[in-house]
Amino acid sequence: MEVADRNNREGLKGWLNPGRYGWERVSYWLQRLTGVGLLAYFVGHVYETSSLTQGIDAWNAMLELTQTPLGHLILLLVIGMSTFHSANGIRLIFAEGGKGLGKPGRPDYPYDAVSLNYRQKSGIWIALILAAVAMLYGASVLFGGE
Amino acid sequence: MLKESQIMKIHYMTGIAALFVVAVHILMRLVMPYNLSLEYDNVILNYHNLPYAVLLESILVLIAIHGFNGLRIILLEMRQSRGWEGFVTVVTIAAMMGVIAYGTRTIIVANGLSLG
Repeated sequence: MEVADRNNREGLKGWLNPGRYGWERVSYWLQRLTGVGLLAYFVGHVYETSSLTQGIDAWNAMLELTQTPLGHLILLLVIGMSTFHSANGIRLIFAEGGKGLGKPGRPDYPYDAVSLNYRQKSGIWIALILAAVAMLYGASVLFGGE
Repeated sequence: MLKESQIMKIHYMTGIAALFVVAVHILMRLVMPYNLSLEYDNVILNYHNLPYAVLLESILVLIAIHGFNGLRIILLEMRQSRGWEGFVTVVTIAAMMGVIAYGTRTIIVANGLSLG
């Protein structure tokens, strides 16, 4: 087949489609979405803190803009994203090192991939649960008065 | 030119190192009531503390490297060609250096306020 005839690139549509591959695809998708979200927050945070250099008035003006219920909701999202990204990232480092993966074997029906075993799958769930717990704690700090 | 396997090692190492330094950064917001920790005088006091300023600089460098390399990986997953790869690499390295330079300026100026 001619290379030019092959048009199997789905681009962004393929990247965003979590439907075909189960939880591992959802995890792949969330790792990238949270990564992009955290990078955007990081750049915004570097800009936000630069107001320090312009004195107390500029700092307080920036706080008025960010320390609002909407600002706190965004921070909560950042807490959840960073916790998931970290926990799932550690799982991925283990996976790349071969830890927690099954041994190769003869493919028998129903063709469950041994690499995607309970250890790897539970890692995804642990990352999601940790993110939820961190968000609850963050909410108690951000919306809990003091 | 670094191999992709070497870049991935750097990606993982910066990610793990960032976890520790960011944890300290967050703890500094929790050693006193959250709103109080964001008051100008308290934040400036943090920047005047040299070890903490070094910690902030390390957070800046580690997350900039990890974040912009992650973005580069995502963009290269979407499309592959020699021109695109070169373009994405140059843009992400330039953005990373720009953010590091801008953040470093904040740390230096805020730390220098103690001299005035």
